[in-house]
Amino acid sequence: MVCVKQVPDVAEIKIDEVKHTLIRSGVPSILNPFDEFAVEEAVRIRDVVGGNITVVTMGPMQAKEALYKCLAMGADRAILLSDAKFAGADTWATSKTLAMTIEKLGFDLVICGMKAVDGETCQVGPEIAEILGIPHVSYVKRVEMNADGKSLLAERSTEEGHQLINCSIPCLLTASKALNIPRVPTIINQMMAKKKPIEIFTAETIGAEKGQVGLPGSRTQVVKVFTPTLRSGGGKILNASDLQGSVGQLLELLKKEGSKQ
Amino acid sequence: MSAESRGVWVVGEQKGTQLATVTLELLTVGRKIADDLSQELNVILIGPESSDNLRLLEEYGPDRIVLVTGGATEHYLTEIHSDSIASLVEKNRPSAILFPATYDGRDTAARLAARLQVGLAADCTEVRVDETGRFVQVRPAFGGNLMATIHQPTARPQLATLRPHIVKPAKPAKKTAPKVERVAAVPLSNRFQKVVMKSVREVADESGNLDEAEVVIGVGRGLGGKEKLNMVNHLARLMDAAVGGSRGVVDAGWLPHNQQIGLTGRVISPKLYMALGVSGAVQHLVGVRTAKEIVAINIDPDAPIFKVATFGIVGDMFKVVPLLISELESKSTAAANVQATV
Repeated sequence: MVCVKQVPDVAEIKIDEVKHTLIRSGVPSILNPFDEFAVEEAVRIRDVVGGNITVVTMGPMQAKEALYKCLAMGADRAILLSDAKFAGADTWATSKTLAMTIEKLGFDLVICGMKAVDGETCQVGPEIAEILGIPHVSYVKRVEMNADGKSLLAERSTEEGHQLINCSIPCLLTASKALNIPRVPTIINQMMAKKKPIEIFTAETIGAEKGQVGLPGSRTQVVKVFTPTLRSGGGKILNASDLQGSVGQLLELLKKEGSKQ
Repeated sequence: MSAESRGVWVVGEQKGTQLATVTLELLTVGRKIADDLSQELNVILIGPESSDNLRLLEEYGPDRIVLVTGGATEHYLTEIHSDSIASLVEKNRPSAILFPATYDGRDTAARLAARLQVGLAADCTEVRVDETGRFVQVRPAFGGNLMATIHQPTARPQLATLRPHIVKPAKPAKKTAPKVERVAAVPLSNRFQKVVMKSVREVADESGNLDEAEVVIGVGRGLGGKEKLNMVNHLARLMDAAVGGSRGVVDAGWLPHNQQIGLTGRVISPKLYMALGVSGAVQHLVGVRTAKEIVAINIDPDAPIFKVATFGIVGDMFKVVPLLISELESKSTAAANVQATV
């Protein structure tokens, strides 16, 4: 089971300097880059141990495009959670919706990207695991299935190194960039993927009550949105013709800013 | 239930017995929030106890210090950390809990939020009590293009992770001796009987801690090769800096993946970011946007990095860096001589 998200290509987002809003029109939607690592790893694991891969996403009908990419990469089944009732969900409501779906379908292993590049919370994976009552390993950079078939060995990135965690299955992993290099689907696979069905699930399909999902199910509320005062730069840029002088000035700055006192 | 929820909690972080500085930053922020809400400030520290840490925590003004020890707490494991905090929450019902936005802090906070069925504002750059007396959180989204002010209307406690370096640690003037409480960690087997974590091993890589470091040196493709990192690491040691890099550098295998700074890597907020041979693509810049100062050294005068830099040198990094190293070294020798004379 792989959970994915369609996100705007954040690098393409621009700010309307006058209105202080995001210019989202013309910004392409893509499969969240971290989810590609999750799908790739799922395909590799399936190709060794068997089974099949279901990808799940929550979003509007356009999010089908992200699912087609997953199918082209090798996923077997794709589910789009799309219902007006799901709209406005925060991370809790999103995790709840995804967890209810995963529970309904049954699973051995759940893989998510470690974060989505638009929201950047790193929360949905661990929250799903907690709701499902299974352990999780986050920021995974290597996975090996153990010979007993009941556990796996996951290498988790930490601030300064890594941990090796032996974790029994079922469990949830969140994929970091170091996990693998995602395949680029061939044109033929892309065309075949488009012919595969995408199942649409609604709140009713997963048996969600009104207050559980979407905005009513959310715990956080956005009270205000604003654009940050962006770095204007406009700093002092020196030419290296006087290298000694430039470095001297740089040292002054370092003394001021870099000192711990 | 929310009416009785009282108390602001800070969850600290330690590696082995080394207290992370971000803990003191959180205490500084937490003290202000607690005072504004007229509530108590508690700090929770999970892991082996150290008297140095305890003394340090006491100086930053918490009303109560809770030390969670025993079990398998010498290493980080999400399930143990989140369950241990959950058990304290159920007993004491705080109104807010602050975590560091570090690898482990984000991980624990998410699992705990789901356990308690409450909200969590991630990677906040500011938290405060607003003019109506509500605790609100401000966080960036969409690669830092947008800021959102978040409030959690009913669910308590309100959870938030805070980025390191958003405040300078400050000791409060008024000090009262905090109560110290010791509790045993909730063992793994309590909830995960079917599923057991068997082994944990921590191995330190040589590159420094990007989140905690006050100074970060970032290298770009301008570096030219992995062997050139020796020079950069040398400079980093002199400046007490951590080393990260652009996507290009990581993809070329010159630095490990967890040292990538930017959209598909890490987002950092050091006091000073020094970009060496980094051109400054948008994808990279979103990772350093909240750095206080950006220093750029690049041979290309048109490199976009200069547009966001507070100080820049248009020049060859292979000339600038060695000069910088020799200046810093002669200075530290001079300092050592002075000390020797004293």
